[in-house]
Amino acid sequence: MPLSVPALRRCFEGAIPAAIATCSRDGTPNVSYISEVHYVDPQHVALSFQFFSKTRQNVLENPRATVVVIHPDTGAQYKLAVRYLRTEESGPLFECMKAKLAGIASHAGMTGVFQLRGSDVYRVESVSEVYGTSLDAPPPPEVDVTTLRTCMARLAAAGDLAVLLDALLDVLADPIGVEHAMVLMYDPSGDRLYTVASRGYAQSGVGAEVHPGEGIIGAAAQARIPIRISHATSEFGYGRAMREDAERRGVAGLVHEIPFPGLPESQSQIAVPILAGERLLGVLFAESGATGRFGYDEEDGFMVLAGHVGAVAALLEEEPPAREDAPPAQAAASPRGSPLRVRRYAENDSIFVGEDYLIKGVAGAILWRLLRAHVDEGRNDHTNRELRLDPAIRLPELSENLEARLILLARRLEERCPTLRIEKTGRGRFRFHVLRPVTLDEIPR
Amino acid sequence: MTGGTARAQPLDAGHAAFIQGPVSVIVASRNAELVADVVRGCGCRVSRDRRQVTVLIEPGRASTLLDDVAANGMIAVVFSQPSTHKTIQLKGTDARVVPVTAADRATAQRHLREWADDLGRIGYAAPFSAALHGGSGPLAAIRFTPTAAFQQTPGPDAGRPIRT
Repeated sequence: MPLSVPALRRCFEGAIPAAIATCSRDGTPNVSYISEVHYVDPQHVALSFQFFSKTRQNVLENPRATVVVIHPDTGAQYKLAVRYLRTEESGPLFECMKAKLAGIASHAGMTGVFQLRGSDVYRVESVSEVYGTSLDAPPPPEVDVTTLRTCMARLAAAGDLAVLLDALLDVLADPIGVEHAMVLMYDPSGDRLYTVASRGYAQSGVGAEVHPGEGIIGAAAQARIPIRISHATSEFGYGRAMREDAERRGVAGLVHEIPFPGLPESQSQIAVPILAGERLLGVLFAESGATGRFGYDEEDGFMVLAGHVGAVAALLEEEPPAREDAPPAQAAASPRGSPLRVRRYAENDSIFVGEDYLIKGVAGAILWRLLRAHVDEGRNDHTNRELRLDPAIRLPELSENLEARLILLARRLEERCPTLRIEKTGRGRFRFHVLRPVTLDEIPR
Repeated sequence: MTGGTARAQPLDAGHAAFIQGPVSVIVASRNAELVADVVRGCGCRVSRDRRQVTVLIEPGRASTLLDDVAANGMIAVVFSQPSTHKTIQLKGTDARVVPVTAADRATAQRHLREWADDLGRIGYAAPFSAALHGGSGPLAAIRFTPTAAFQQTPGPDAGRPIRT
């Protein structure tokens, strides 16, 4: 097989710096290290532009250059004959390289020194091997085509979003072997991502929020591209610490933020967007305590799985009109025991059970509606349709994500308030179980 | 020596010691079409008067670089210590391929040992360093008079001429 740019992707992980040789128009050569060579596509690479340098001056006047990269496992060297095309100073490529460079800088002890000014895009005109070595190349990627096929079959079998997202995290754990992962769904109305499912954390973190642009998850959401970091860096933390305390404390100074889950010793992270066509549905995030855990091959696998999840989720959204079939015969258990005091702050639909924050926003409004129907009408069977039509719930008209909000609510209740429970009773319908009497308090704005 | 001028001054003792230490050596020249080529070197020697630098490379890895040097004498060499990122670049216009001496061969062997030790400090195993270094077989030597020197340690001063 002839050498190709994709075959060299392992050389682009930034473990060993590459070098670029350029030449000025007056014929003076220049050689310089490059922190980051980024794979763009089979014909293009992008190099990190960090400092105004001779290299930069040279390629602007004479675009032909030579890049040498080193295989991080075998020590073999490869040469790329390249031609400078353009510099991108914002956008997906830039964001992706910026995050990766932060990881490379951290690995090199150069945090704060390596700053991306631009992504210099080059066309690769030829690739050659300078020499090979006798050292062993790494084993083939874990995410091979056969494994992917198995995973996708399991995802396609999911009948609803909750099962689909669980199946995604399950296949990541086995057969792919990714132990710490989570799915966040995007809420366009509040412009935030909220965790709906996770694996491998002490606290599930369901309900924890991230804002677009914040940390690696927010960056992947904002730019709609996969982002990987191979080495822990403070620059791209999860974003949870970046928010001001004041913002964490909303109404009445009460904390209504769910702590973000996460590995304390996280070294490698990957976040890929879950897209349905152009529309952002959410982000799949995974991390590991090992450095360099997620490479280009893993990124490919994550993108295929996330793409499949996006397509299946979009199909599941096209829900048939709620069938008017009779609700299941078994009635909800009647409430017993001491009353449970539930408060709702109208300002942001945040719900507190006793003194404990439970949930807010659309999921909070849904819960309040279910509680009111239970107390005022003695009704516990509901349809998704009825929630969609309720103006009090304020679902955004487009990409409402009702199903995802119900998953969030159901899981939050399961973890924090098992007295209240949502049970799916059919496609587009569910039953609300209230195991103790409740008293409801409205706190107006 | 002043960066950017053709007035050849000797290297100062510190820079001479640095480039003969455990540094990665990367050598570039260019062809008649002004396309630069590059090869990783396996050590360097500085003349007693510190006016001449000889870089050693493995000819099998050099592609057309030796021909380019012979044709036009243009050279740029980056020296960088892996564990510290301290980096300088020297340039010259009178590079030529010179016969390899026993001292050159000894230099390449010593360079491999010292450089592999430095790479070992940042986690690279000796077989990897040896594969990357090369130079255990045939060598080629390129000698030049540095006429410009540049600071190239990553940071705001990268690219500044070194004044001695």
